[in-house]
Amino acid sequence: MTDRLPALQEVIGKLLPDVDGVLGLKVGPAGIVSPHLFVKDLADELASLAIWPKEPLPGTLKIIQKAHPDAKLAIVCRGCEERGIVEMAKHYQIDLANVTLIGLQCTQEEAEFCRCAKPFTVHAQTTIGTPIAGVPDTLTDEFAALSREEKLAFWKEEFLHCIKCYGCRNICPQCFCNVCTLEDETWVETGRLPMPQPAMYHLIRSMHMTAKCVACRECEETCPAGIPMAIQFRLIARDVKEMFNYETGAEIDQPPPQLLVLEEGEYERTGLPH
Amino acid sequence: MVEPKIIGFLCNWCSYRGADTAGMARMKYPPNVKIIRVPCSGRISPELVLRSFREGADGVMVLGCHIGDCHYGTGNHRTAKRMPVLKKLLEYNGIEPERLCVDWVSAAEGEKFATLIREFTETIKALPPFVEVIK
Repeated sequence: MTDRLPALQEVIGKLLPDVDGVLGLKVGPAGIVSPHLFVKDLADELASLAIWPKEPLPGTLKIIQKAHPDAKLAIVCRGCEERGIVEMAKHYQIDLANVTLIGLQCTQEEAEFCRCAKPFTVHAQTTIGTPIAGVPDTLTDEFAALSREEKLAFWKEEFLHCIKCYGCRNICPQCFCNVCTLEDETWVETGRLPMPQPAMYHLIRSMHMTAKCVACRECEETCPAGIPMAIQFRLIARDVKEMFNYETGAEIDQPPPQLLVLEEGEYERTGLPH
Repeated sequence: MVEPKIIGFLCNWCSYRGADTAGMARMKYPPNVKIIRVPCSGRISPELVLRSFREGADGVMVLGCHIGDCHYGTGNHRTAKRMPVLKKLLEYNGIEPERLCVDWVSAAEGEKFATLIREFTETIKALPPFVEVIK
């Protein structure tokens, strides 16, 4: 982890004169790491650059771009953040033309911490660190092997702890709708904890994460109850790959399945009668 | 034996007319399905299906036009894309995916409509009531 930091500082230092700002992580006064926009007038701040723990930078990039649409920006992104940026660009949340990607490859420990299948960047122009292979997601595989009754019991137990803080929605780089279904009384009952079964909040969120979740695991990280909700998103991502041959954030040009009109072969793969 | 409660979302242009055809031909099918007519099967959001379960339905049917026959062009493509994912999601949450039936019935297929309802009611009868499963 130590050798990547000076390399990153050097790359950002070289890039700073050409762009309006570089979005990265900074260690604050109390040792708290938070997103920070490094600008050329305050180049000394680079000394307090940080790379771990990871914070959801794509969301911050979106906020800055909304306020300053013409700003030329660069962003330090890991594999997951890059996928998030690509997916957000497809949904017109980020303008990729004004963004330079600085790829930060994850180490083995970081990849294992995130159970990450793709801890490397693909599209970034500059990269730091050596890319490593993905780590098998044992937790998801173990869950997938459970019987139906066990799965039901598993989620009943997990959702019992949910306090409906909406933290997983707020941190998610892919949750950017102006009007959120999860705030609609028609679908999500308010004022009852533990939430009644079936857990509408989590089921709807899983459904909305279809072909959008980029497996950054920010939701699990932020959850005060430690609900491993990304298990569902990852299983669905596998199905989406099978049904629509779509991997979130992999290709910039590939349209998301939400926009697809199904062709003969694609339609058969979904397993519906015809 | 408790009679199962089934909600059927039928597209106005094909499946609802298919139900009419079945009725006109005096075909017999179980009365468990409560039919809700919708403009297009693409209207059926996963939220609607989940809420039906939440309100105590034992099974949900979503019937639309055959692919290519949609009155609105590609409305049923949305159904064809989202319902298989919803089925998978139900499975991952420990709910039998058989409780959700997605099929295509055209206005002429009264026989198919009656058969589908008969078979689906049998499937749901074989399963325990949903409220007891989720309790």
